[in-house]
This record gives sequence, structure tokens and C-alpha cells, in this order.
Amino acid sequence: MSRVLVAMSGGVDSSVAAALLVDAGHEVVGVTMKTFCYSDIPAHGKTCCGLDGIMDAKRVASTLGISHYVFDVEEDFTRDVIDDFVSEYARGRTPNPCVRCNSNTKFRDLLVRGEALGCDRIATGHYVRVEHGPEETALRRGHDDGKDQSYFLWGLPPEMLRRLLFPVGELTKTEVRERARALELATADKPESQEICFVPTGDYRDLLRKRLGPVHPALEPGVIVRSDGEVVGEHAGFAGFTVGQRRGLGGGFSEPMFVLEVRPDTKEVVVGTRDELFAAEVTVRELNWLTTPPSTGDDVRVQLRYRAPAVSATVVDVGTELTLTLGDAQPAITPGQSAVVFDGDRVLGGGRIA
Amino acid sequence: MSTAYLDHAATTPLRADVVAAMQPYLTARFGNPSSAHRWGQDASAALENARARLASAIGARPSEVRFVRGGTESDNLAIIGGARALARDGATPVTLTSAIEHSAVLEPAEWLAARGEAELRVIPVTPDGTLDLDRVSSELDARPSLVSVMWANNETGMLLPIDRVVSWARTTRTVVHTDASQALGKVPIDLGTVEVDLLTATGHKLGGPRGCGVLFVRDGIEVEPLIFGGGQERSLRPGTEDVAGAVGLAEAIHLAVRDLDASGARMAALRDRLEARLIDSIPGLRVNCGDAPRAPHVLSLGLPAIRNGADFLTALDLEGVAASGGSACHTGAAAASHVISALYGSDDSYATVRLSVGRDTSEDEVDRGAAAVAEVWGRMKSA
Repeated sequence: MSRVLVAMSGGVDSSVAAALLVDAGHEVVGVTMKTFCYSDIPAHGKTCCGLDGIMDAKRVASTLGISHYVFDVEEDFTRDVIDDFVSEYARGRTPNPCVRCNSNTKFRDLLVRGEALGCDRIATGHYVRVEHGPEETALRRGHDDGKDQSYFLWGLPPEMLRRLLFPVGELTKTEVRERARALELATADKPESQEICFVPTGDYRDLLRKRLGPVHPALEPGVIVRSDGEVVGEHAGFAGFTVGQRRGLGGGFSEPMFVLEVRPDTKEVVVGTRDELFAAEVTVRELNWLTTPPSTGDDVRVQLRYRAPAVSATVVDVGTELTLTLGDAQPAITPGQSAVVFDGDRVLGGGRIA
Repeated sequence: MSTAYLDHAATTPLRADVVAAMQPYLTARFGNPSSAHRWGQDASAALENARARLASAIGARPSEVRFVRGGTESDNLAIIGGARALARDGATPVTLTSAIEHSAVLEPAEWLAARGEAELRVIPVTPDGTLDLDRVSSELDARPSLVSVMWANNETGMLLPIDRVVSWARTTRTVVHTDASQALGKVPIDLGTVEVDLLTATGHKLGGPRGCGVLFVRDGIEVEPLIFGGGQERSLRPGTEDVAGAVGLAEAIHLAVRDLDASGARMAALRDRLEARLIDSIPGLRVNCGDAPRAPHVLSLGLPAIRNGADFLTALDLEGVAASGGSACHTGAAAASHVISALYGSDDSYATVRLSVGRDTSEDEVDRGAAAVAEVWGRMKSA
């Protein structure tokens, strides 16, 4: 059996992924990526910040009898993920940092560094499956419909797929927890992490203020308008808004209002009724294909946000951009979010919504 | 897998005879030294015997030995407590440290400076072990001052010229602290002849228990306490004494000093063997501070063509060899250490690997370690 590097976040999923690999007879090396420092004290910037995830992963690794190391990727992560996150919001878009991290930072770094450590394969605790065929490797949805994370992995370089393992993709979350409890892993009953890892408070606007500085157009007051230009209110900064959002728009409307669009140039937030939120066409940029791209006229399924089902669509045009018409108009198609193209449960590729 | 532990500068195991000396005080002879009854008297006697044993091993008087909780606490007490004692008459003291001190010295000094309690001056050091003291003398201006220069550097093994620091300090009336955590038991230390005022040492670097340290305070030197709540250790470090720890610490120091001639030569021979093998197998290898006088147990390597020192250590560990980057204290941080930056510049292109031997290290371990370092280097070096 080969030496496998498993990325352990300190959560239950990657803990069980590591356990399953040990069971399968692999020599397993655990790694936790230190993506940023939680510490607020600059004087301690060079020391380990005692991130809980690192400590939990170490405990699990010890239970499993495997080695565990910390990869410090703070510099790359800040440049590739946090800076992108901030600049997307500053442009009135709604980024998906986990996609960005998987596409640009995490897997590339693990593969390159893993290779130097004699690890020919990389595993994570994502709920997806890979199917190794003679020609190519297919990335498929995880078995647990409620946990499937294929939405986050469309950006992987296709040549990487054959070296990846996703041991929990065949399991349900319930099975993963049971497994962790049976092995008495320290993370067995650890709550799900919902927040973005570098926004532990859950309020990304704190981060924007910190990184954009106190004076930035995205954080300055502007007006809330209807799509016909009628001014209906004011807001404290367009970076606090995302398409489809209801909160923060003030009251006094005869029916519920939703954000339709954010216009960074004029600092306007455009609102409208739920009906106005729907669109039947989507344009996708920064494409990445895990297999041969679909052709014009092909029928595919497309998933437009993490917790949304894939819907039927037809390829209108595909090149450096992908244009799809949707079988049924969809609400709140949000610039910056991922559009992931499926054939059944297989991920064909994806991109960022324009 | 056959393993080789070459990280004794991080920590080294308890000696069996130290465990034996501590054992009674962890069990049957459990008294509190402050108690008046016979259990207390027994514990108190053990504590004072340990103090005397430790004092005689370093050429000090028992009254000059304060038991504290480890080297970091001892350093903090010396720097913060020492500076505060100098500030009693209202002057703002100057603290001086070498650029390559342990963070247990640097950080309290920086903390004091940030609070305005002391001014901080950093003394440059070169890789051959030269301290630029003249550069700072002129700035003292007859103000009360405290200088802290380590006896042996933990990352490179470099020995600093403590004699020179002491004679310089006499002319400027500066209080001298030295962190001898890596030096004690490795090189001769006699406080009867080297007149430092404050000295730090810790148990777990020389076969004693962890969390047990000492601050030597020369009679007549004042140090303010940092914690309060009892009169123990002449009020410098209150709290019920760790009798077993003190006994173990004193025993470990006694044994290390007693065995020094033989064990120092043995460690130096192992270090030299390791060094020679690596110089042969790694073209362009730099031995950090190789031209300076060094403690016998530490070999610091500057590896060429290695992009990520942390990954190098991981690969070594997967081969069963324990080593460390600069110090062992900065888990997970990939940045170059402040010590190597201070010695070789912040743009230094070499990756640092510290190998350190202990009293039980075998030639075989050293050979396996050398082979693994060479093998991993061959595999990971960039073209």
C-alpha cells in the first residue's frame, strides 16, 4: 500500500477519512493547513496561534497512530483566497472562498508538498466520490445528498483527480459520526463548522473594514433603488449586500423586497419583488473543465449555489465563457458564486457567475 | 522503522538516577516545606539540601539559588523583575539583549519597552561569535541598565563571550543576566569566577524534570517578584515549593556538571562526526556559526537549495529522524527564525536544520541521522 497524505481540518469528516485510510492499510500522514492566524496580537504573529483545529487533528492522529504535521500556508492563502474574497465584495460580488481555496491553494499545495514527502496520493474529508476509469477519473457527488460537497471542487486541475481520495464520499454523515464514535475519536461529536474559516465571528464585514480600511467606496453609504431608478432608501455600504438578500433593506414596502443587483460604480443597491429576482439565463466565467466540455446545444444540469438543487439547462455558447439557458427561471443568480455543471451526478466543470 | 532522536536541545529524557532521587518526594515524603511539623521539616530539609547541591555545582551560595517553574519563568523574572528593581529610584532603565536571545528573554524585554518601563537596545552578533558591545556603551549615559546575553545559543550552539560582557558591564555598572539553559552541563560554568549577577537554567535540557528551573541571583542584586502570595523563595517566587522537582533539578545539575569532562568530549565527538559526514555528502552545506566557539551538543545546518525547511523536517521525521528548525518553540510557523535572520540576514537563502545530541546518543544514531539528512536533501533539493 502507498503513503497517503490526508488533509485533516480537525473536523469529524477528515478524521474519519484518515481512519478509513488507516483501515485500508495505507501508510497515512496527517496534515493540517494553517491558513491564517486567529491571534489578534501582532507580537505573536510568528508563533502558533493554538488554533483548535490543529490540536484536534493532532489528538485524532495520535489515536489513529499516524504522524501529523502542520503546513503553514498563511502567505499563499492570504494572497489567493482572502485578498480575492475582499476584492470580490469590493466589486459588489459574492465570492465563494472555499471554492477558491480548493481550486488555487489547498490541493495544489498538498500535492506538491506531499510528493516531496513521498505521498503519491492526497485525501480529504469532502463528501464527494472519484471514480477511476481507464481514460479519466470522474468526480461525482457524495452519497449523502444533504452533505454533498461537489459544488466546491469544480476548480480542481483535472490531471490532479487521479491522485485524490475521498474516503467519506461513500458514507452518510450519520455513518461518519458513528464511525468516529466507535473509534472514540476526539472529534466524533464536534459541531459542524458553518462559518468561513477566516471569518470566525460570522460577520465578514469586520474583515472587509479591516482589510479595505475605514474609507472605501464599498463601505460608504449609498442609495437603495428600484430597477426603474426610484430611490426607496439608503444603505451603509454595498459590500454588506448580496443578491437575493432581504435583510437590511429597511421597511415600508408593500411587499417583500430582495436585492436584485449591486452596482459598485454608483454605490447603488437595486431591489425588487420576488418575481423580479428570477432569470432564465446565466453567463459563467473563469471556467474549469474536469473532462471534455459540453457543446452548444447540449442539455446539462447546473447548480447555482451550494444549497440549491441542480436544474436543467441548455448550452447556448461555450468558449472562454459559458452561457446557459435554464429550463426554469431561477431566483437570485448571484455574481461571484459558482455555477457547477453536472451530467447526472458527475461534475463536468464549472466557473464563476459573471 | 529504526529511529534517531537528534533533538536533545529541545528536550532530553530524565536520567534514571534523577527519577530515583525524586521518587520519595512524589510519594511518602510529601510534606509542605512551610509546615512546622516533622513532615514539613523533612520536606524543608530536602529543599534546602537540593539548593545547596545545586549551588555548589555552579559555584554559587545556597542563598543565591531561587527555584522557579522552568527556564521561561526564570528569564521573565530576570528581565522584568531585574529591570523593575533598577527603576525603583524613578529612572527608566535600559535593557540590552543580544539579537539572538531566546524569545523568553526578547519578548519580556519588548513588552517592557512597549509599556515604557524600560528602553530596549539590541546588541548585534556576528556568526563568528562577536558581540558589538561598544556600539551600545555610549548610549547608556550612566543610566541603570540590565544586559542579557545567553551563555550558549539554543539554535546554533554558539557560545557567547560572557567574560567580556561581565568586564564591559563593570565599566558601565550594568547588571548582567545570562540564560545558560543550553550551556549548563555542556560547558564549564563557575559563578565564582564568572561574575554574572543573574543566571537562568532549566532542568529538562540536562536530564532533569520539566517545569523546574532556577534563577541564580547574586547576593546584593535586587529582583522584583512577578507573582505574589507567600514568602517562598525569599518572596521572589511564592507558591508551595515543588520539592521533588527541586531535588530532581539539583540532582540533574549535579550529575551533569560532575560528568561534564567526559560527556562534553563525547558529545563534541558525536557532533563532529555528524558534521563531517554531512559536509561530505551535501555540497554547499553551511555549518551555522561553525567558526564560533560552540557548545558540544548542537549542530545547526544551513541547507542549500531547500525551499521549505518545515517540509524538510517533516520528511526527516517520516524517515524516523527527529530534528528541529531553529528552536522547537514555534510549531507550524514557516518563517525563518529571528536568530538565523540576525546572524545571516533576513534574506538568507538557506534552510535551517538543528541536530542535537544527548548523553545517551550513540554513534549509530548519529550515522543514521546523517544518512537520512543527506538522503532527504538529495530528494528535496531544487534543481
